[in-house]
Amino acid sequence: MSTTRKRVYGYLAEFSSASTLYKAAEQIRDAGFQKWDCYSPYPIHGLDGAMGLKRSILPWFVFCGGCAGLATAFALAYVTQVEIYPTIVQAKPANIFTVPAFFPIMFELTILFSGFATLFGLLGLIQLPRLNHPLFASKQFHRATDDGFFIAIEARDPKFSPQGTRDLLENIGGKQIELVEEED
Amino acid sequence: MAHHHVTSADIAIEGDHLDSSKVAKVKTLALAIAVLGSLLSIYALFFASEKIQGCYAYSWVFAFYFFLTLSIGGVFWTLLHNVSNSGWGTSVRRTFENLGSTFPWMFLFAIPLFFPHVQQYLYEWMNTQRAAQGDIKEHLHHVDHLLYNKYWFLNLPFWYLRMGFYFFFLGFVIIGLRKLSTDQDKDPNPGTKRLFRARFHSTYSLIIFALTITFTGFDFLKGLDFKWFSTMWGVYLFAGTALNSMAVIIIVCTWLKSMGHLKHVTSGEHFHIMGKLLFAFTTFWAYITFSQFFLIWYAHITEETSYFLIRNTGNWNVAQIALVFGHFVVPFVILLQAWLKKNPKLLSIVAVYTLCMHALDHYLISIPERGVSLGNIKPEVFGDIQVSISGAFWGDILAFVTIGAAFIFFLIRAIGQHSVYANRDPRILESANLSN
Repeated sequence: MSTTRKRVYGYLAEFSSASTLYKAAEQIRDAGFQKWDCYSPYPIHGLDGAMGLKRSILPWFVFCGGCAGLATAFALAYVTQVEIYPTIVQAKPANIFTVPAFFPIMFELTILFSGFATLFGLLGLIQLPRLNHPLFASKQFHRATDDGFFIAIEARDPKFSPQGTRDLLENIGGKQIELVEEED
Repeated sequence: MAHHHVTSADIAIEGDHLDSSKVAKVKTLALAIAVLGSLLSIYALFFASEKIQGCYAYSWVFAFYFFLTLSIGGVFWTLLHNVSNSGWGTSVRRTFENLGSTFPWMFLFAIPLFFPHVQQYLYEWMNTQRAAQGDIKEHLHHVDHLLYNKYWFLNLPFWYLRMGFYFFFLGFVIIGLRKLSTDQDKDPNPGTKRLFRARFHSTYSLIIFALTITFTGFDFLKGLDFKWFSTMWGVYLFAGTALNSMAVIIIVCTWLKSMGHLKHVTSGEHFHIMGKLLFAFTTFWAYITFSQFFLIWYAHITEETSYFLIRNTGNWNVAQIALVFGHFVVPFVILLQAWLKKNPKLLSIVAVYTLCMHALDHYLISIPERGVSLGNIKPEVFGDIQVSISGAFWGDILAFVTIGAAFIFFLIRAIGQHSVYANRDPRILESANLSN
């Protein structure tokens, strides 16, 4: 006898095409749901607007990463080349006016740090990498990488109700509606 | 996302024309200032005291090249839009073409620079060659070996030939492309034929454009000091050109929109793209300008460093450092904001600011050479002209206002000639519904 307990993740519904997915997303957005997502084999132009997604805060991470890179490079070059071991080449000054010589380093580290901030900020925001996702329990979900268009509404959304949400998905054209459960 | 989807019912069938009575006042005023300024300039260049003549020649080069970059930039954006098969900018492309169409008129303001009387104060290499008795090459061989080596390029017949090439060919290019575009407006059966022709002719024309921006820069500006050379010069001028002509395009589009034109066909999305181009070229300008400085600073070759030595003494360095922050750091940080780029009015303010910085940039290209060169050419007349920034001269403003007024006149004239957007272009709906 199995004693595994299961927890409801939410409803998964399939949609027949990108355009029905787009229209369904608009309706779920207007119904006021917060914790839900669309799954499609390819990017759909304007879907972020249809889902009511706000602008990502990622650019601020990138900006801060860039500033940190700029400051690091300047400090690194200035301390080593001016303070600790002044390097005099062709009678050029070894003081703050040496700064043009540091520009390539400052440029490179700005790019490098903002690149890191982009990658790791993005991974943090989308919570990757992870070992598993509850939706993988669904038998049909693998088609999201091939020819299936899905919407999943999570049970932890305040608007979620076992019957009401199911009806909503049915009304907006959802097929194969499935209650996905995750193992606890 | 809730905005209205633009359909062919929203496009003006007969085109969106500028109301000529509304702009008549500005146009007349600009023309009057241009004519009056030109008369004063002719006096200052040919009949005033020699000291004024010499100083004003530099003012004229500064103002002429500043507005030349703006008009050449209009040609550049037209060519780029055609050759990259772009759809986004069809509703603003007519503004590119109108700006470019001021280029042939710039020939009028190049004319004074064709007179030996004006050239003698600007281009020392011409004086050396004109002083030759008999064989010029033989003469140069004895007096200036550098000019002897550069003779294949720096000789008078070739110089005048190049002038003809720039204005004839690039003028021909922009007139032809603009005509292709405006003819479409009245065609009862507009197809894709003209679009493809414009795309084809824009390919090789880009080479003509590149030659023109590079070598006008050599002939008018670099020639001020024939000993100096920089491999970044052409691309440096190009960076300022592309950046600031985009600034003019943004201002013109905002102005047209504020008068109720370009309705339905342009939105914040178009300004967002143009703002992004402004941002991209701000960065490109900084990259190229710094690279030029850096290579010269690093290599430490006497013939190269002279340029920066002049501009780093006598308070010019204050202006040079102001350029670093004013032309790059400030607009870079401001233009990072996406919401700002989508707002035509705010973006136009940034564009006006960018143009002011472009004026400073070009002031620093042409004017610091004045004191040094004039002092070399005729020490007895110009000996007391200061090399420092306090040697600034009222003529700089006069020349700038004169050519600027003429530029505005020709630009408004061009805008009024045809519909302000290509209303029968096959891609107009694609452009009107732009989303990025």
